[in-house]
Amino acid sequence: MKKVLLAAALLGASVSAQAVAPGGPGCGWGNLIFEGKSGMPVHLLATIVNGTSGNATFGMTSGTNGCDTSGALTYSGESLLSMNGVLEEVAQDMATGEGEALTALSVSIGVSGDDRAYFNSVMHENFASIFPRQDVSAGEVMQRITAVMQNDQKLAKYV
Amino acid sequence: MRAALLCVLVLFCSTVAQARDLEQLAQQPRWQALLHINPGATLRDRQRSYVDDADFFLAADGAANPVSELAATVEALEPEASPARCRFPARYRFVAEALGWRDTEPFAHCAEYLEWRGAVHAKRAVLVFPASYLNSPSSMFGHTLLRLDQGDDGAVWLSWAINFGAVTTEQDNSLFYIYRGLAGGYPGRFNLVPYVQKIQQYSNMESRDIWEYTLKLDQSQIDWMIDHLWELRDINFDYYFFDENCSFRLLELIQVARPHGGLLDELRFAELPVNTVRALEQRGLVTERHYRPSKEVELAALSDRLDDQEQRLARRLAADPAVAESDAFQSRPPRRQAMMARTAYSYVRFVNRKAARTEDIAGRSFALLTLVNRLPSVEDPELPDKAPPESGHGSQMLAASGGQRGSDDFGEVSYRLTYHDLLDNRRGFLDGAQIQGLGITLRSTESGAARLEELDLVSIRSLSPRGRFSKPLSWYVEGGLERAWAGRRRLTRYVQGGAGGSWRSGPWQPYLLASVRAENNSDFGPLITPGGGAEAGMLYHAGRWQWQLSSAGHYFSNDVYRHRSTLAVQYALAREHGLRASLEREGWRGDGETEFKVQWRWYFD
Repeated sequence: MKKVLLAAALLGASVSAQAVAPGGPGCGWGNLIFEGKSGMPVHLLATIVNGTSGNATFGMTSGTNGCDTSGALTYSGESLLSMNGVLEEVAQDMATGEGEALTALSVSIGVSGDDRAYFNSVMHENFASIFPRQDVSAGEVMQRITAVMQNDQKLAKYV
Repeated sequence: MRAALLCVLVLFCSTVAQARDLEQLAQQPRWQALLHINPGATLRDRQRSYVDDADFFLAADGAANPVSELAATVEALEPEASPARCRFPARYRFVAEALGWRDTEPFAHCAEYLEWRGAVHAKRAVLVFPASYLNSPSSMFGHTLLRLDQGDDGAVWLSWAINFGAVTTEQDNSLFYIYRGLAGGYPGRFNLVPYVQKIQQYSNMESRDIWEYTLKLDQSQIDWMIDHLWELRDINFDYYFFDENCSFRLLELIQVARPHGGLLDELRFAELPVNTVRALEQRGLVTERHYRPSKEVELAALSDRLDDQEQRLARRLAADPAVAESDAFQSRPPRRQAMMARTAYSYVRFVNRKAARTEDIAGRSFALLTLVNRLPSVEDPELPDKAPPESGHGSQMLAASGGQRGSDDFGEVSYRLTYHDLLDNRRGFLDGAQIQGLGITLRSTESGAARLEELDLVSIRSLSPRGRFSKPLSWYVEGGLERAWAGRRRLTRYVQGGAGGSWRSGPWQPYLLASVRAENNSDFGPLITPGGGAEAGMLYHAGRWQWQLSSAGHYFSNDVYRHRSTLAVQYALAREHGLRASLEREGWRGDGETEFKVQWRWYFD
């Protein structure tokens, strides 16, 4: 159960955070990380000096433009899947059956190396039930993944 | 009395001995690395710390005096539960090891540090090099960062990225700030972000390939680096684009891990990220290399395995997923359908990579993924075999040439500070990309002494091919001094630039650009004479060969017309040597001159 909580935190949807509705209006499917100022000079500057705007983050906070993840984060790879665009990468990996985003998800859930290929195939088969709509939230996705795993003999032990 | 004297002597001697010990200890490479003392690697701040932040030092003269900083550090770290321990865990480790302190839990009172350290740990360190991309000259030198892997090979999405960059503010949206960025006007800081953000930024948003180099660092060395990283939290360095940049600072971090590695022994005027990779490789610090293609490269690989009709279908499918129900689509075998669906999805994501979320984009993405999921799984397409950037030619160049112009023989020497033109040896570079800075050519002829033929301040070209799935703009901008016809051959000062399109079919890359030019020379009446024109050309890239046929013409506001046609070829003799031949015809109203030239080009760092 602890692992699932961790994974839920990874998805930006810990149990406590669900009360405040994870995500936000700009969060979720189809969203992307690039927000803020645009324009040639600012882009050039950013590329030249490899700049970061505002305070440099130090693993304490993370850029989750559009996604409100307050209350859900701890220090670690926490915000990974709640970050814009990542939910989508997970969806893409599930649709095709493999990929780095899916691997990161299985590692964070605690799926052992031997079971990862199997985990991938189960996720692939259940894509339609895990992602039922285009506006599904990260929290919902995590709940559905948990449900799928609970119903699977081999994967139930991880939840 | 005698006893008292002896006692004083012993005390005095032990103090002197202690001071001498400290002096020796402060000379140790690791202490110097922990303080970021410049060992002579760059011109500014030699034998001083690079850190420009009083918060980093415990002694008043700490930035310039490693001994007094060490003394102040020992004093501050010694008491149990000292707050300084929580700020300087790597310094503590250094001092404790050197002086034999045996505190089993020296950081027990440092909750924040312990929590951070619990989250930030690594079994492997990887140097990450997002290579340059067409259409953004500022990226052409590349960038480097460090990645910390928690151990699992496939789970790099859970890794941390250590990044050194300038801290700019939201208002900094003008060209002045670019100058500031180059000249050290911004503070630079280390930051630590999830690596996945960097993948998103470079591979998705900016279409840059990423090269990843696993470093030969053991657990203890990696721990030194992470502990020290904590000491650099919110600490300012001045950021200089050319030498004290992202790559240089990373070398300093690695220096903390391996203080005897000799990474900073040589003086450098500019630190190119690609040279950082080379420096690490030459010292045997790189054990493995991994290529992470950009989303654009992936899309190209996906679409390349479709035939022409399938590509059209994929485009239509991307615009309207209902095309999947059409006879044209359904009549294809399921595996081909799957390939088209993958391509269409990838295309929608690519085209909208910088767009805000809309119901339309989200809906199409979702429908296409559902389609992909429903169709049989197909293997990923094979990616083009790309030469890594560090296998490319050196960044500086010297050239010697001989030729004939009209009936006059000439000899030339050229030097270029940086970096690559369209015909230079192509291994490790992008076809169609050019970035040159500070090139100078001196020519001596039979009839006259050596004189300046050309001074290239900057010359950037980005000819990126347009295809069915990607429609980038091609453009160029350049400026400097060159000899051109104005009554006679004169030195002219000019800036010119243009934009247009480029296409690619196999080794052939045609391009067409409209251009404008502003020129100043001693013959033209107005101080600055503007002109407009066009350029058309064809590049041929294959193996060691690069060809270019081009023709450009400009018509000026004072009714002067001038054009120049060139056929040039370069053969890569070796990585650092190239042989180039060119035939050029420069024409103006009623007359013209022809020049033939053979050139040997030697690249070096």
